Amino acid sequence: MRCQHRARLTLALLVCTAACGNSERSANGVASKSAAHVRAERRAYDGAPPVIPHDVFSANCTACHNEKGLLVPGVGFAPNMPHAKTVGVGKQARCTQCHVYRKTEETFRDSLFAGLHQDLRKGRRHHVFAPPVMPHATLMRENCQACHTGPAAREEIRCRHPERTRCTQCHMERTTTTEFPPAVRRTD
Amino acid sequence: MSDGAGRRTFLKTLAAGSVVAAFGCDSKRAEQLADQAVPAGIDPSELNWGKAPCRFCGTGCGVEVGVHKGRAVAVRGDEKSPVNKGLLCVKGYHLPGFLYGKDRLTHPLRRQPDGSYQKISWDAALDLIAEKYGAALDDHGPDAVSIYGSGQWTVFDGYAALKWIKGGMRSNNLEPNARLCMASAVMGFMTQFQSDEPMGCYDDIELTDDIVLWGHNAAEMHPVLYSRMLEAKRKRPTMRIIDLGTRRTPTSDYADVYIEFRPGSDLAIANGILYLMLKNGDFDKAFIDKHVVFMRGIEDVDEIGYGCFGDQAERYTFKDKGRRSNIDELRTFLADYTPEKVSAISGVPVAQIELLAKIYGDSSRNTLSTWCMGVNQHYRGTWMNNLITNLHLVTGKICKPGSNPFSMTGQPSACGTAREVGTLCNRLPADMLVTKPEHRAKCEKAWGLKPGTIPSKVGYHTMDLFRAWTRGDVKVMWVQVTNPWQTIPNLDRIGRNWKDDQFLVVSEIYPTVTSAVADLILPSAAWIEREGVFGNSERRTQQWNQLVAPPGEAKEDAWQIIEVAKRMNMGHLFPYTDDNWHEEMYEEYRSLGLGTGKDLASYEQLRGARGLRWPVVDGKETRYRYTAGHDPYVKKDDVHFYKAKKYGEKAAFWLRPYHAPPEEPDKDFPFWLCTGRVLEHWHTGTMTRRIKELHQAVPSAYVEMNPADATALGCSEGDVVRLKSRRGELDLSVVTRGRGRPPRGSVFVPFFDEGRLINRLTLDSMCNISKEPDYKKCAVSIERV
Ligand code: SF4
Repeated sequence: MRCQHRARLTLALLVCTAACGNSERSANGVASKSAAHVRAERRAYDGAPPVIPHDVFSANCTACHNEKGLLVPGVGFAPNMPHAKTVGVGKQARCTQCHVYRKTEETFRDSLFAGLHQDLRKGRRHHVFAPPVMPHATLMRENCQACHTGPAAREEIRCRHPERTRCTQCHMERTTTTEFPPAVRRTD
Repeated sequence: MSDGAGRRTFLKTLAAGSVVAAFGCDSKRAEQLADQAVPAGIDPSELNWGKAPCRFCGTGCGVEVGVHKGRAVAVRGDEKSPVNKGLLCVKGYHLPGFLYGKDRLTHPLRRQPDGSYQKISWDAALDLIAEKYGAALDDHGPDAVSIYGSGQWTVFDGYAALKWIKGGMRSNNLEPNARLCMASAVMGFMTQFQSDEPMGCYDDIELTDDIVLWGHNAAEMHPVLYSRMLEAKRKRPTMRIIDLGTRRTPTSDYADVYIEFRPGSDLAIANGILYLMLKNGDFDKAFIDKHVVFMRGIEDVDEIGYGCFGDQAERYTFKDKGRRSNIDELRTFLADYTPEKVSAISGVPVAQIELLAKIYGDSSRNTLSTWCMGVNQHYRGTWMNNLITNLHLVTGKICKPGSNPFSMTGQPSACGTAREVGTLCNRLPADMLVTKPEHRAKCEKAWGLKPGTIPSKVGYHTMDLFRAWTRGDVKVMWVQVTNPWQTIPNLDRIGRNWKDDQFLVVSEIYPTVTSAVADLILPSAAWIEREGVFGNSERRTQQWNQLVAPPGEAKEDAWQIIEVAKRMNMGHLFPYTDDNWHEEMYEEYRSLGLGTGKDLASYEQLRGARGLRWPVVDGKETRYRYTAGHDPYVKKDDVHFYKAKKYGEKAAFWLRPYHAPPEEPDKDFPFWLCTGRVLEHWHTGTMTRRIKELHQAVPSAYVEMNPADATALGCSEGDVVRLKSRRGELDLSVVTRGRGRPPRGSVFVPFFDEGRLINRLTLDSMCNISKEPDYKKCAVSIERV
């Protein structure tokens, strides 16, 4: 059991080394592009499933992209998956239905498509002390911690109270863009 | 809403002040990072979201398209759609990209004598088409004109084409590319139930115990449905997925059982299952007595042929003749299909054949059979459709939630347009046929035409249409939303002789190999650039509104047809108002099916719904056809096949034998060649290759091969080999560690790549009844180059 576990970890290490070789990090390990920039590069628009930024190395993506994510010291972090509940993990997860590998950097024909950028402005709050309202839908992102905690979380959206795991107790999803009619003061 | 911006500034000011102070220094750093990052986004509330069905496959997922300043900038899966409940596949997620390729066609283009194309005006283009059609009709009669459309046509395009050619030009030379795709399923349902399309629906996925996929790589071809299957299995681990195929695919990776058979031997396997079930006493006698009649057709292989050899290589018009049969005859017939004999033909171990018989024969478990191109693109495709449905008829596992034979369509409106509107050379809307006087009369009356206007002579089916075109018998052809110069099998057989008197019009959104041989290219409006209606695999009719403007002078296909018709004095066929013609046209079309069991929802209702499954009666959709409590036309207590008048309102079980494939590997051509799609690309790739993410995932066609075969040939991953068939040759690079794993002696090549046309090698053999060609089986040789 232990042996098997170690073998898997070694494989994962090897794989991450290969995979992260051409990542956004420069030789001294300092990020040369902002995390938001890298995020945008991997998506056709905000909300599109990201392309897979490394080579194919396992049929089982959730071996590394597991519930907690897998940190490989000095190499990189395989972030955890935000939608284990919706699509399952392990043998029954069909990740490549939505996430594809890049086999080439070339394009077939030029395109004028410009996708929606992520809105990086601050989320709304009802008043200064109110918890911010979620600025995006939660479909396929039911595990908030995948993006908001851990090494893969971008600094600007990193949660400062990860020990509180019931996120929706305080943060609501905005499901409509129309405002509730303001109260009218009675004058009689 | 109007004070949104003001409110945001207000909040931002607040946030930058006291809140940051209250929560400490981390926020400051975050603020800086946020400000320096990628350009400021659009507030999601500034987007207008509109609903539409996905443009790509026959699953018919609902999407919402985010539009900003007149351009589509995002999509999201429509959580309100019962088909996909918010999930999409990678094609669906990248939908908007296909509209914005830099080389979109934006003006009509006329071919010049030197082969170049010059812009011309719409008026000139439409006049020219009207003149060409008019001249062909005058000089050569109605057999010389044709329209070749698509299962990606909206209902409006298909209906306009049908009305114009059948009711105006009095020709039945109207075909969709669905002939290459769904025709065998149509003939399967017609021969057994006298009404097209499945009785079940997607709800069966969650209600069944065993799903048997017959040559159906759902993981790539109906991805969202496959993820529904996997989700159902996660929730109910007793559910099983059984994958029958001629190569391992991503579908096999997730299946409980994978059964590999020799190409074509599925005919024997289905009969082998029947043999065992009959022997084991698994037939549901009560159901059979009440609901089933036995039929037998022509079985002599010499009389039938394969549609591609000898005289049949020019014209294939074989017609089946049915006679009544019975269960005793079936018993004798099945004696040829003992497990040992079937195993010898198919290469499937006896134990697996017995397992299949157990699954179908187990009356305590629900069984859902699904299939798509593996069964339909088959030299005996209709027979295979009949055989799978037979398995359900003899066990009563039909018309029951969770138990049904379910044929899936490949294209987004193969059902809605090709099959329901009836854009085929022998059909009219709502299951009607041009050969039936009462059907023609019904349409003539609804359309206000003189009796006898619609011709009774069946037109050319697709394969014969292109053969007739090549001979020069067909003078004018208009191709819309499809790319036949890439997809017709045995491609080198069809051609263009520039000195001839023929005229080819192509309506397209991008330059293709087909537009490259056109005399006139028309720029079309696509998907959400116009209003539309599609119908998906589960009888769901879905409507969408125009959400963005088409580029340049692009116009929708239905408009193009109507404008030409008007110029030929056939404007009376389209008596609609300018500003509401979609709804008026739809309601006229809908009137032809009302009261027949093919009742579609009203346009008004469709506007507000995420699609509805017909028959829709009193505003209520139908999940299960022919079933009491579901189908409003069933007045009896259980099941009633009310459309099958010919069989006494029972379903027909057809005895269908095994026939060997038309071409099998031999000494000179030792490999099987199978062709198909991949998850990332739609058909000929004209849309999906223009989407960066999809192209970069699968940039070109390749040949998928068993590693042992590669070693034997002395080549490895990435090496280029030459594939040769009796018809053509093609160089491709070798993939041995791909997503699919063919057995030894078998290779697979996708057809999306216009730079590598695999259909130059395929054989133009056809199903004897549906005339749908078989893209899955021919023989090739392979050598290193
Ligand atoms: S499964 Fe088919 S309909 Fe659904 S998103 Fe994918 S291509 Fe579109």
